[in-house]
Amino acid sequence: MRVLRIGLILAVTVVLAALPLFGSDVLIQFGINTLLLAVLAQGWNIIGGYTGYASFGNSVFYGLGSYGVGIAMVQWNLPFAAGLILGGVLAIAFAFLLGIPVLRLKGHYFAIATLALAQVMSAIVSNVSIAGQNIGLVLPPLNNDYLFYELSLGLLIIATLTVAWLTRSRFGFGLIAIRENEEGAAVMGVNTTLYKVLAFALSGLFTALAGGIHAYWITFIDPESAFDISLNVKMIIMTVFGGPGTLIGPVFGAFVLSAISEVLSSEVTNVAGLFFGVVVVAAVVLMPRGIADVMRHFRSSGWRYFIENLRAHRI
Amino acid sequence: MDLLAQVLINGVLLGGLYAVMALGLALVWGVLNIVNLAHGAFIMLGAYLAWYFYAYLGIDPFIGLPLTAIVMFCLGYVMQRSLLNLIVRAPMFNTLLITFGLEVVLTYLAQLFFSADFRTINPPYAGNSIAIGPLVVPLVRLMAFAVALVLTLGMWLFLLHTKLGRAIRATAQNLVAARLYGVAPRHLYAVTFGIGIGLAGAAGSLYGTVSQINPYIGATLTAKCFAISIIGGLDNPLGVLVGGLVLGIIESLTVLYVGATFGDVASFGILVLVLVIRPSGLLGKTA
Repeated sequence: MRVLRIGLILAVTVVLAALPLFGSDVLIQFGINTLLLAVLAQGWNIIGGYTGYASFGNSVFYGLGSYGVGIAMVQWNLPFAAGLILGGVLAIAFAFLLGIPVLRLKGHYFAIATLALAQVMSAIVSNVSIAGQNIGLVLPPLNNDYLFYELSLGLLIIATLTVAWLTRSRFGFGLIAIRENEEGAAVMGVNTTLYKVLAFALSGLFTALAGGIHAYWITFIDPESAFDISLNVKMIIMTVFGGPGTLIGPVFGAFVLSAISEVLSSEVTNVAGLFFGVVVVAAVVLMPRGIADVMRHFRSSGWRYFIENLRAHRI
Repeated sequence: MDLLAQVLINGVLLGGLYAVMALGLALVWGVLNIVNLAHGAFIMLGAYLAWYFYAYLGIDPFIGLPLTAIVMFCLGYVMQRSLLNLIVRAPMFNTLLITFGLEVVLTYLAQLFFSADFRTINPPYAGNSIAIGPLVVPLVRLMAFAVALVLTLGMWLFLLHTKLGRAIRATAQNLVAARLYGVAPRHLYAVTFGIGIGLAGAAGSLYGTVSQINPYIGATLTAKCFAISIIGGLDNPLGVLVGGLVLGIIESLTVLYVGATFGDVASFGILVLVLVIRPSGLLGKTA
């Protein structure tokens, strides 16, 4: 069973890697977007799914990654790789600087504090001259979708392997312990502050790298698009739909929801927003632990699974 | 000196409006323990409702305010009764997510039906203002402030002195005990959420008269309402009023002395600061 599953994942990976060889341009562009969204979902999974801290501000990391690449390439004429490093460093620095005070907050307070941070970042960056203020930055174009596709896929694989490492390492168990019972974890000797900040930084690093790749691919960034709050919507919904705190769930959620929203958008313009909203409302009521949990229990309990979820928390 | 006084007046007038906005959020949060991330979207909806009442039926926004509030109350009641009662005991994360999803849906529907254009409710007296010496007080803002004060005080008296208000406070303190004393929680939760959304609708009609509206104002307003609730605490509408005034004044001062784009930055900066220093709110009791 285990061999089968790993084999399946490897096969899917190989097919995905070979996709640019036979896919059309449109498919590759859709692929880049989807893979990057999957990275965002996997990044959110680390802080939201495993550590249990619902961050509504991961878009900040995305913007920092975008601007890392933008500033390095446009203002300092450095290569793309240096930009990615700069973006990653910015994200980690942000995670430490703001994570230490903000991660002391629990529940609603943490969620809203991060939401507020996400909302002010674009206003702040609009006033930074090195970031092109509110006009933005135009990056040197590189017309090579194949490269961007493989970069995105590589990043997603690294992110997923990192989460796989979390599921079997001392660090990962520490995070799960924090999610289940933070005081209990502290009593058992987990340095909760350090673990939470590290999880935040790790989550931010992947998000920033995805932002950096996207910036170079799109070749234009401005505060509004780089710090787009609706990205939080997508990464959270994809993770919750797939299964927060699972290895493959967020990736699966990102693939499925991107595909559906892409089909919907081609039929009706801009209906994707409505779709995401309805999905998250339905998911919370019917399957709060995601598709991963549905697959686990549907065979034994059938449709009763959804009814049980409906009844679980009602008054 | 005149400039400073003028800015302070603007801040106070704005703060009263902010207080009504946050009143519903604080009520729902305190009683149902749900932080309604769709609260700002409901304010937006109320503003559009008032706009339609004015543009198509010619109902003055201040006279139509109770009507807007009643329509929004019904919407809130139905929403709690049919949907949110299902998850009211779920972990905090789920309630955040579901209201977040509602926010996305409402924003999208607003964009679909109302279009993304900016709109303002412009009654014929919109440009009038009262001069006090060198200071100018815009009439609409003053009226909005007065209505806001009445609503806040009304809420305070309602919670303190009516049977329903007492039932709501009792439920907030101890659900089991309230149930034993004959409170029907499903209905009471729906009424509470309905009042919260009705207040959001009232706040929306006021907001539409003093500011531009578009479908995307919801998220920012939610965060501001949250900031106000944090500053003022959840126990008491008068605390929310103080929170609103503090935020309104700080925002106006920041816009004057630092720059127009920093108004929101200041209010959210204060939110984070207050959260970090005193997570239970400046005036609130320990959570």
